[in-house]
Amino acid sequence: MESKVLKPILAVYVGLFILFLYGPFIVLGILSFQQGPEGGPQFPIIEWSTYWYRHLFGLTPPSRIAPLPVGEALVRSLTLAFMTMVTATVLGVMAAQAFRKRFRGAGIVFYLIVLGMMVPGVLTGLGTSLLANNVVGVERHWWSTAFLAHVVYTFPFAFLVMLAILNRFDGSVEEASWSLGVSPMKTFRKVTFPLIFPGVLSAMLFAFTLSFDEFPRTLFASGRDQTLPLAIYGTFSVEIHPNIFAFGVMTTLFSFALLAVYGILMGLSVRRAKKMAMQEDIA
Amino acid sequence: MTQSDPIFRLEGVTRRYGDLTALDGIDFVADDNAYIALLGPSGSGKTSLLRVIAGFETPDAGRIWFQGRDITDLPAHERGIGFVFQNFALFPHLTVFENVAFGLRNGAQTLSKAELTDRVRTSIDMVGLAGLEDRNPEQISGGQKQRVALARSLVMQPKLVLLDEPLGALDANLRERMQIELRSIRERLDVTFLHVTGSETEALAMGDKVAVLDAGRIIQYDTPDTIYDGPVVSDVAKFLNRFNLFDGTFKEGVFSGPFGALPVSNARKNNSDTYAIRYDRTQVFDAHDANLPGPALPVRFLASEYLGSSIIFLFETEGQKTVEVDHHLSLGEPRHLTVGERYTLSWDPEQAIVFGKETAR
Repeated sequence: MESKVLKPILAVYVGLFILFLYGPFIVLGILSFQQGPEGGPQFPIIEWSTYWYRHLFGLTPPSRIAPLPVGEALVRSLTLAFMTMVTATVLGVMAAQAFRKRFRGAGIVFYLIVLGMMVPGVLTGLGTSLLANNVVGVERHWWSTAFLAHVVYTFPFAFLVMLAILNRFDGSVEEASWSLGVSPMKTFRKVTFPLIFPGVLSAMLFAFTLSFDEFPRTLFASGRDQTLPLAIYGTFSVEIHPNIFAFGVMTTLFSFALLAVYGILMGLSVRRAKKMAMQEDIA
Repeated sequence: MTQSDPIFRLEGVTRRYGDLTALDGIDFVADDNAYIALLGPSGSGKTSLLRVIAGFETPDAGRIWFQGRDITDLPAHERGIGFVFQNFALFPHLTVFENVAFGLRNGAQTLSKAELTDRVRTSIDMVGLAGLEDRNPEQISGGQKQRVALARSLVMQPKLVLLDEPLGALDANLRERMQIELRSIRERLDVTFLHVTGSETEALAMGDKVAVLDAGRIIQYDTPDTIYDGPVVSDVAKFLNRFNLFDGTFKEGVFSGPFGALPVSNARKNNSDTYAIRYDRTQVFDAHDANLPGPALPVRFLASEYLGSSIIFLFETEGQKTVEVDHHLSLGEPRHLTVGERYTLSWDPEQAIVFGKETAR
């Protein structure tokens, strides 16, 4: 009885949820195929075209609409996201590894790290820039102050992912390795790391994506040269053209590609063993 | 066995976890080239002891000597002591061959490729796993995993291998086969096995020597038959699971228990007054039989349990205590007993072991 009422309600709820999740992207996706250069960022579609995609890559004849100033910003953001990913993941793995032993003050340190996630991003960004300018006296750059802000922001995520992985990790394989005369460092490289690698991948993915589209912290901390989200926001203040939408579609596709790589790597590390099992059976 | 140097020695080894004392000043001298079974109930500290010897944990006090060297402060990977885990702890991302080769490949010593392959193959052959080298741990059975874990340890040619309830995860059939194999593998190599177990049958069957651990102390260390015939304290008798134990009072050479008062010529020092008689030395008589070899214990018959070579009869005393009688079938057909009926149990008092707070004579 209950499920007869509840099930359709839940189904509608899930449907609405997914609609709201993907709705904006679908609208942007459709509008990115607007006719150009006259067509604006609104319905109806005057005529379907790939004008704005070509415009993005400078393949259209010059018009009054300037090309999107995102090329350098994109490279910057990718570099920053990569740097952040590597640093935050390394720190996250190390910190989570440290938490496997209950050291003194472990509880307090844990909450300090995790509560850091709750501090409003704008304040962190502002604080970082004030710290850099007025206290330490260094110039702000995307690769210095903004990088620092990004690492501080993404580190707790990487840490929590690794903590969850290491919580389920059976330490007896490490002890087995020690008892075979293998040093703790080498044990980490040869045993622990390969086994927690799927978790490391997840932490990397988190750090990269969080850094790649980070806005509030970067706003104040990045200095003169803008990252991609800032550059995009900057174009809003003039006039919005569908080239922004085309660009949005491209970056989203890029993110999906990244996810696909993640999925493949993940699958490989899990499936390797199973594939070998099949070969054995055939042989 | 000839008099030889101890392979390892413990001096007052103590390990605490907060308020809990897992190891309470253990002194122990192990025989070289022997199979030592370490018997203890759960919570007796037997796994802690193994982990301390292996170097996975540091003792709070005491010293550990291995081959005449103090290894208390040496990290696990520099000790050269093998360890076989209850859950096997194989490296899931490596093949059987690579699991066994792991220590040779990644340890301090460098071997030529041929030598490494040779040693790994010898080790794999010894535990009877030839042909499975390329399998992954998830593709082999529990018993095979056990062998890989053993081969992985033995390929390093350790002088001491610690086995933490190695048969606990195997089914009964396999357990018996592995018992025999573990013993024969050890005999072929010059190595001491320290085998931790909670099963008294396993300990008595496998050990050249058995150490009984209770509440963080080794309370007896001797050959299995000595322990079986002469537990030094009542706790050992309890763990052996072969004795009917009766509480009572022991005073001036007389033990008073549920079977009345008995003069006792000899008692062992103990922290309680306990009277012990082995299951297979307890005999069943009619309720009013006057012709008894010793004391009379009135009981009620509860049930019997057929074990193939013997039958276990379960009785209940007037004080609701369960008493067991083990009748070996080679001694002839057991008498027929009716459930709920009253009987008398008796035994030769010479075969009883009495533990007392005060000792006789």
